[in-house]
Amino acid sequence: MNAPERNDKKPSPRVLVFACRWCALVGADAAGRKKTELPASFRVIPVECASMVEPDSVLRALASGADGVAVMGCHLGGCRFNDANHVAVKRMEALGDLLDTVGIGRRRLLLSFGTAHEGHEFAEILGNFLQELGPLPELTPWRKTLLNLPAFR
Amino acid sequence: MSELIHTIREKSQELLAAGRVDGILCLVRDRFDVVQPRLIFRAEEIGSIETSPKWNLAKLALQTIRQSGPSFRLAVVCRGCDERALLELAKRNQFDATRITVLGYTCSREQAESCLCVRPYPEKPLAGEKIEGVDPFADPRVSALLTGDEGKRMARWAGLLSRCIKCYGCRNACPICVCTPCKLEDDLWVERAVVPTELIPYHLIRAFHLSDTCVACGACQDACPVGIPLLTLQLLMRRRLQERYAYEAGLEADRKSPLLMDFDHASPAGFELPAWTVSSEAPHER
Amino acid sequence: MSAESVRERTPRDLPRGMSEKTEDMVPIEDRSGSTACCGEVRFVRTTCPYCGTGCGVILKVEGGRLTRTLPDREHPVSRGTLCVKGWSAHEFVASPDRLTQPLLRDGDSFRPIPWDEAIALAAGKLRETADRHGPDAVGGLSSAKCTNEENYLFQRLIRAAFRTNNVDHCARLCHAPTTVAMVQTLGSGAMTNSIADLAGADFILVIGSNAAESHPVLMGEIYKAIDRGARLVVVDPRRTAVAENAAEHLRIRPGSDIPLLNGMMRHLVDAKLYDEAFIRERTEAFPEFLEYLKGWTVEGAARETGIPTEKIREIAEGYARAPQAAVVYCMGITQHACGTANVIAVCDLAMLCGQVGKEFSGIYPLRGQNNVQGACDMGALPNVFPGYQAVSDPTLRAKFAQAWGVAELTDRPGLTVTEMISQAGKGIRALYIMAENPMLSDPDVTHVMHSLKKLDFLIVQDIFLTETARLAHLVLPGACFAEKTGTFTNTERRFQLLRRAVAPPGEALDDFAILCRLSRALDVPVPYDTPAAAMEEIAALCPAYGGIRHSRLEKAGLQWPCPHLDHPGTRFLHQGRFSRGLGHFVRPDHTPPQEMPDREYPFYLSTGRMFAHYHTGTMTRRSPFLNREKEGAYAEIHPEDAARLTVGPGDMIRISTRRGSIVTAAVLTTRVAPGTVFVPFHFAEARANVLTNPVLDPVSKIPEFKVCAARVEKEAVDGKP
Repeated sequence: MNAPERNDKKPSPRVLVFACRWCALVGADAAGRKKTELPASFRVIPVECASMVEPDSVLRALASGADGVAVMGCHLGGCRFNDANHVAVKRMEALGDLLDTVGIGRRRLLLSFGTAHEGHEFAEILGNFLQELGPLPELTPWRKTLLNLPAFR
Repeated sequence: MSELIHTIREKSQELLAAGRVDGILCLVRDRFDVVQPRLIFRAEEIGSIETSPKWNLAKLALQTIRQSGPSFRLAVVCRGCDERALLELAKRNQFDATRITVLGYTCSREQAESCLCVRPYPEKPLAGEKIEGVDPFADPRVSALLTGDEGKRMARWAGLLSRCIKCYGCRNACPICVCTPCKLEDDLWVERAVVPTELIPYHLIRAFHLSDTCVACGACQDACPVGIPLLTLQLLMRRRLQERYAYEAGLEADRKSPLLMDFDHASPAGFELPAWTVSSEAPHER
Repeated sequence: MSAESVRERTPRDLPRGMSEKTEDMVPIEDRSGSTACCGEVRFVRTTCPYCGTGCGVILKVEGGRLTRTLPDREHPVSRGTLCVKGWSAHEFVASPDRLTQPLLRDGDSFRPIPWDEAIALAAGKLRETADRHGPDAVGGLSSAKCTNEENYLFQRLIRAAFRTNNVDHCARLCHAPTTVAMVQTLGSGAMTNSIADLAGADFILVIGSNAAESHPVLMGEIYKAIDRGARLVVVDPRRTAVAENAAEHLRIRPGSDIPLLNGMMRHLVDAKLYDEAFIRERTEAFPEFLEYLKGWTVEGAARETGIPTEKIREIAEGYARAPQAAVVYCMGITQHACGTANVIAVCDLAMLCGQVGKEFSGIYPLRGQNNVQGACDMGALPNVFPGYQAVSDPTLRAKFAQAWGVAELTDRPGLTVTEMISQAGKGIRALYIMAENPMLSDPDVTHVMHSLKKLDFLIVQDIFLTETARLAHLVLPGACFAEKTGTFTNTERRFQLLRRAVAPPGEALDDFAILCRLSRALDVPVPYDTPAAAMEEIAALCPAYGGIRHSRLEKAGLQWPCPHLDHPGTRFLHQGRFSRGLGHFVRPDHTPPQEMPDREYPFYLSTGRMFAHYHTGTMTRRSPFLNREKEGAYAEIHPEDAARLTVGPGDMIRISTRRGSIVTAAVLTTRVAPGTVFVPFHFAEARANVLTNPVLDPVSKIPEFKVCAARVEKEAVDGKP
């Protein structure tokens, strides 16, 4: 993740977004197409359903340099895969408990279900998230020098 | 000899003599006055059965059952935490529950306080009196790690986990950690051959995998050479499970975990959208 | 045995928790009548074979095979914990590579021969060599991995059969400076306190030790101290895991330990923060030492070490002011051309501040091998008998000669490991090597190979066909820790029992039995056949171990000195008086590293250990779990240097020194300082010791493994850079 930095002294928080392609990704695309004012320091990974996102992936992302992770899916009741997004919500909520435990904080995990399928919504949610992340302490004590992981070469 | 040990030995004798079990997994005090685990097949050895120190046997019991023939029946002399661990394992089809008989005994107050245990007894103890559990959250060391300034706690946890020497002791000792292959050994997820171990991928992945199945036996913490408070990692998740779903691992044999095992009752209890999001849908309770 | 074939023949990774083959199950007959089918299951308490911490392990034996290693909750040192090597201690035992028969060289390969022939040949060849070339033409390398009783028998054999003192072992390569320096200053060359004492210290100075990787369970005691509020200060050129977890990490320039310690002491003297009463009552030669210190300054120390003056003063004061302060050290200060002097400086500092001779403080040399302390205690050293009794003393010689049933023993000091190897083919014509692997562990291994090949006769006794065994004329198959009884002595002087869990494979014999047979074949009488009986002989001859018997070790072992049968063992030394009476302040004569980086070889090269493997890898690289954790050779290089060389993670690099070159995989890390590379010595396919400098500390003869000059280049692959 080598996102270009803003001109602020502190670099912009880096966010990894897992976006379900049925709703949230639509919003992300729309925001991109309309060239909505978007902060630059995020990347989107499309997934078939938010329930596909393992909590382990969120943790791996935080360990690899993400300051925050967003998991975005369809609105509850509107999952194409039989309420699989309910499962996603439950798991991510529990993950939030673990993040709270160790002081990383559930604020670094954004859960958005059914609220990002319009371009401007996506942009606003992401923008708010980045603002939330800004003042939080760096996760550097949690990260090793990740120069040798085979997957990240 | 205490009444507790007497009862245990009597029952063990009875089961073995009647042929209702083929072996008894327990602690024994040998002739040098040292306690260690033993798999007893012969009645002559029952006189040396011991019930302390705290020594988790659930994992050994599982391994013994797995590595024996299909009709081998085992009795395990153990504490409440081991019983709950075995229940969770049975729930996850790791072994045939009919093959293990738990000869459970209660823990002393000192032990309960040492383990910060909410339930220092098996469900139906064979020996000993149930005493009230301890609230781990009332312990100052626990509350220092779980409450208070988030930034300070983040640094403190990172500092503690940085001690990790990658012995895999927590994983090896945990009765629930039985997955093969184990994700912690996969270098796609956790970088190998470095200490301190990668903190988030190793410890938080493991903690999350146990989120709904940890029975708070503390075997992980007991096995950690460098004093990381591993049990405390699980406490908040356990409490939230209790609050949201009235669920505690290790208690109900027929109730699957609402978190990771349950796709039927999928309502995410207590989920709230962040206040600053714009939501276009109706309330989500089903 | 190439690395590839080791990997091929290592059993496939057994998934944890899966059942073993049910064909191995033996139905139990005398059970309830149902075919219950659970084979023999035993739990055997014994001691870990890896490092000097000496953790308790419980081996699970099923159907005559080791299936698992468990921690021992009752063990006084490890208390239910283990490191990754301990958890894997059983894995190598049943390796298909195990030697199972005596082997005689037949051209380029070996053929098996029966034991009688092997023993007769070994005895005959050694005797022939001594007769033809003199007693000092025979030498023996004993084993820090084998038991006390085996080490005792080994040196007994060499001394009694040949009237030479050419016996030594790998302590030469690690803590020889400790044995020499601490004897000079304090009178006893062993860890002054117990491992558990560390937990009670208020200030811990770790200098030249990566205990988190080399002595992990011991490191836990240091963390206990930190949990109580103790301050940890680490001096190490590398940012090790210990340094990461310390209050202070001082990144010292390699080889400048004496300037640092002298600078600290100078400051304490100037600031009058030293323990005057202790020095007056308990030590001697302080005035001369004060004179000597006048030549050393804090500013000079800062210049040489690269550590700021304020830090030097700060850590000195922290150490001096702490109610209980401990100094922990290991290879980082011993493996230098001035290794002995380095340890002397540490002892001087401890005496200066009165931080020795009481609980929770003290000097902690972390002995590496599981029984290197024992091998030294048992006299596998060229200048002392068991119990550190000097060969130069005629009364002692007479005592041992009588005990061993020979007319006399010699007072000529023997050669050290490093000397015996370089003298091979010249002064030394025959060598008997028990469970040592100098082809990987000694410096300048190319030279080691040439030397060993010049021997008239080389006998190697081991459990695997190591790189050293391959050069032998005769190979004898020994037994590993799980297959024998006897004792190990850990770094805190604790004798601990081994209990036999399984039988050795094939015709392999435990080393004690081999040594009994060989001794008798050489006409050295051995009036016993068990290690327990040998221990009685040892106790009778060594006052410090007078109260040691196997029967007394069953529960928690015993720490020497333990002079009589009712003595409970000794937790810490030098209480009230030092072993030599008064502590002696000795000048630590500083020598900078003998080979510094220059234009041609611009990098510092350092060598050492990493947590997943052990020493020359004979055991750990045959353990599937450990081998998966780290499968191949590597070297640590700083990302700035890597970038300059266009080396990425995993790329192959060529590291060269004046001795040779190796090709290995690059691991990029900021653990090493720019301009330094670190090469672990566990990997036979890229031997760190091809590169190392064989220059020796003149006093203790330890090689300077920790510093030399190297060149690093990206290695072309298939002709393309």
